[in-house]
Parts: sequence; structure tokens; C-alpha cells
Amino acid sequence: MKNPMMVLLLGAAMLAVPAFARAGQLPLPPEAEKELAARASNVTEVTLGKNMLAFAAKFMDRKDKDQANVRELIQGLEGIYVRSYEFDKEGQYSKEEIDQLRKQFETPEWSPLVRERQRKTGETTDVLVKLVNGEPHGMFVLSVEPKELTIVLILGPIHMDDLGKLKGIGGLSALGDVEKSVKASEKVKKGGDE
Amino acid sequence: MDEFEEELRQAFERVPAPPSLKRNLMAERARRRNGKILHFPLQWQRLAASVALAAVLTGGATWGGLAWRQREERRKGEAARDQVMLALRLTSHALDHMNRQLAEHGREQQ
Repeated sequence: MKNPMMVLLLGAAMLAVPAFARAGQLPLPPEAEKELAARASNVTEVTLGKNMLAFAAKFMDRKDKDQANVRELIQGLEGIYVRSYEFDKEGQYSKEEIDQLRKQFETPEWSPLVRERQRKTGETTDVLVKLVNGEPHGMFVLSVEPKELTIVLILGPIHMDDLGKLKGIGGLSALGDVEKSVKASEKVKKGGDE
Repeated sequence: MDEFEEELRQAFERVPAPPSLKRNLMAERARRRNGKILHFPLQWQRLAASVALAAVLTGGATWGGLAWRQREERRKGEAARDQVMLALRLTSHALDHMNRQLAEHGREQQ
């Protein structure tokens, strides 16, 4: 265990598992965030609540097709929370820390969309979607690389058609690809329910 | 009568006013009255100018404040918009990483 304190903090966060879902915030306790940020060489934190998203939407140029598409996507969302940590060297976070984080989404409302593990490199990616009445109401992405850790939580109704439109925007093409995966997952889930 | 008494008598001697005195006094009085009338609108002009200046300054300050507030709101809005784009780019980057992993995984299986 690389850092028992960190695991303890994440464990404490786990006890309050559904709390993040209620509060609509990133399921990382501030202490854990500070710990990771202190070890990282580069940190990017984005916290956008519902009000901030609505405010940002006002400043999206409607005449600009790309911005108009993003505007459509973020309207109605409850929050976007992103944490990206880049490390100078490998081993700055433990497997236990990542597992603790992952466990918080092992609830019936979150369906795994992609669970990719690379044994050679140790890289993993988890994409989970929160489905409410067959409609995506949240997305969680956990991308783990030896020197990089990215956590994304998008809460609120995600319009897949709007997500698909982002494919043409530079830097957002991969978001457009999610549309197909989520639609396929919805079909599987509906089939399973029937 | 000594010299002192003579001087005293001359000092107390009544000298009639010159005939032009009354005319000069009346002319001076009229001139002063006219002067007051002339000053009256000048005071109003000064007051009006002060009020106008105060209004211009207040208006300028209000407009400046509003313009600053609008600029500040725009700046914050644009920062929020950039944050949204950054968040989506990071998300896309993570998903792109996943796609690469999946493609690699697929190649390995083949």
C-alpha cells in the first residue's frame, strides 16, 4: 500500500457513498484531492455546477455551430467535474486508491459501459453510465495511466444526439463516439429488462 | 480771536453741498441696482452649469460602472465557457485513450 493515509481518506469517503450522488459532486473528498494534487506535477481541476453551466451556456455563440452544439449538450446538465493529475514518475497513486474510487460507482444505477484493462502497462479505463428510465443521466470516466489520472463525472440528462454532434469538433471527437456505445448499452439493458 | 478759534470756526462752518452731488448719488444708486439685476441671471447660469456638470459626472460614473460590470460579467462568462470546453476536451482525451486501448486490445486478440 503506497499511502495508507490516502486509502484511509478514500475509505472514509466510501462510507458516505451515496452522498456524492445526492450532492452531485465529484466523489473525491477534498483531503484526497489535496493528497493527489500534492503528488502531481500538473493538476487540472474543473468544477462546474448547474448554475455555472447555465451561465457558461449564455456565452456560447449561437452562430458558431460547434459552440451551439456544446450549448445544447450542457443545457440541463447538473454538473461537470473533472480532475486530471499528471505525475513526473510512476507509482504516485496505489491500486487500492483507484479501487476505492471505482467502488463508489458499483451501485445498481450505474452501468459499466467500458471496462478496459491493459495488463502490460497497467493502464485502465472505466466508463460508466447512469441510466434513469433508459435515458443516460450521468457519465463517469476513470482513466488511469502510469503517469496520469483522469476522473470525469458528468451529472444530469445527457442527450446522445447532442453528444454525437461533438464528433466534428476538434478535441472532442471521442465524445461523439460515446453516443454509439451508450445507445448500444441502452439496447442491451432494455433487452435484459424485457 | 486767536488763531485757534479761527481754525475752529472754519472747521464748523457749514459748506453747502455741490449741486452735482444729488445727481451723482442718484446715478450711482441706479447703476448699483442695474448691476444687481445683471448679476441675478449669472448666478442661475452658474447653478445650472454646476447641476449640469454634476449630472454629467454622475451619468458618466453610472455608465462607467455599468460598462465595467458588463465587461466583468462577460469575462467571467467567457472563463466559464472555456472551463466547459476544457472539461469536455479532458473527457474526450480520456475517452480517446480508452479507444486506443480498445483498438490495441482488438489487435492483440487478432
